Amino acid sequence: MDNSEPIVDGFYFLPPGLAAWIQTFIPEHDFEGTIPWKPLEKPISETTFALVTSAGISCTGDTPFDMEREKSEPSWGDPTYRKIPRGVGETGIRVDHLHINTSYILQDINVILPIDRFAEFEEEGVIGRLADTHYSFYGFQWNGNGFLDQAVAPMAEQMAAEQVEAVFLTPA
Amino acid sequence: MGLAARFLEEKGFSTAVLTPTWEFHRAVGIPRQVAIQYPYGRLVGQVGDTKGQRGIVKEALAFLQASETPGAVRHLPNRWPEPPKETHWHPPEMSPIIAANLEAIKKARRR
Repeated sequence: MDNSEPIVDGFYFLPPGLAAWIQTFIPEHDFEGTIPWKPLEKPISETTFALVTSAGISCTGDTPFDMEREKSEPSWGDPTYRKIPRGVGETGIRVDHLHINTSYILQDINVILPIDRFAEFEEEGVIGRLADTHYSFYGFQWNGNGFLDQAVAPMAEQMAAEQVEAVFLTPA
Repeated sequence: MGLAARFLEEKGFSTAVLTPTWEFHRAVGIPRQVAIQYPYGRLVGQVGDTKGQRGIVKEALAFLQASETPGAVRHLPNRWPEPPKETHWHPPEMSPIIAANLEAIKKARRR
């Protein structure tokens, strides 16, 4: 731990049975492998940011994330991703996700993808720059890591093309 | 999300994941996490709460700058103003994977 703040209970909002079941997938021992590490090499005020969420957000007119297949194959989750341009408002998105209440995001996208907050910080000089493109994939990936090739790899390519240096991620 | 953060960090991006379930680090090895005891779907804050959302993002940015150790976790002290049953974070219908595993979930609760 890096501080003495109260420890977050990650299962506080879940029903006890669901919390206990999810915890069966978490080992009791510490992670023993190598953790990739890219330190931030300049001040936040000079850094270019992109945002990523797994909340299943797509822009109006894009193909929505596939919920129907998951309903018939419960262990399958859509492994693709969508680009979300900065400046998109709640009227320009849809949210498809079978594991959360999506209505709050449709009222205020910033509750999960804080594009407007980062844009404010760009204007105030708190961050260096907010990239033009942000991203959503779909958080339920039970069956393998295909989403890394199909979603995260192309996201990383676009981020590199936009000179992104740091990424803020929110799961759902 | 931990695997995505690992992938991006390997590609040369510095990452910060804002999450309640920081303990998945033990399964995945997540570079940097900001732990938040907020309900899923609203991890940055309440609808329309610009001030609160700004505060959470600023904490994450500060941690991104200050963290020095792979696997670092910063626990935010913020707490959601509603009790769990009033957050209505869950979907209107039981998710397919939960419906398919109800017996296992009941069994886990009895342990």
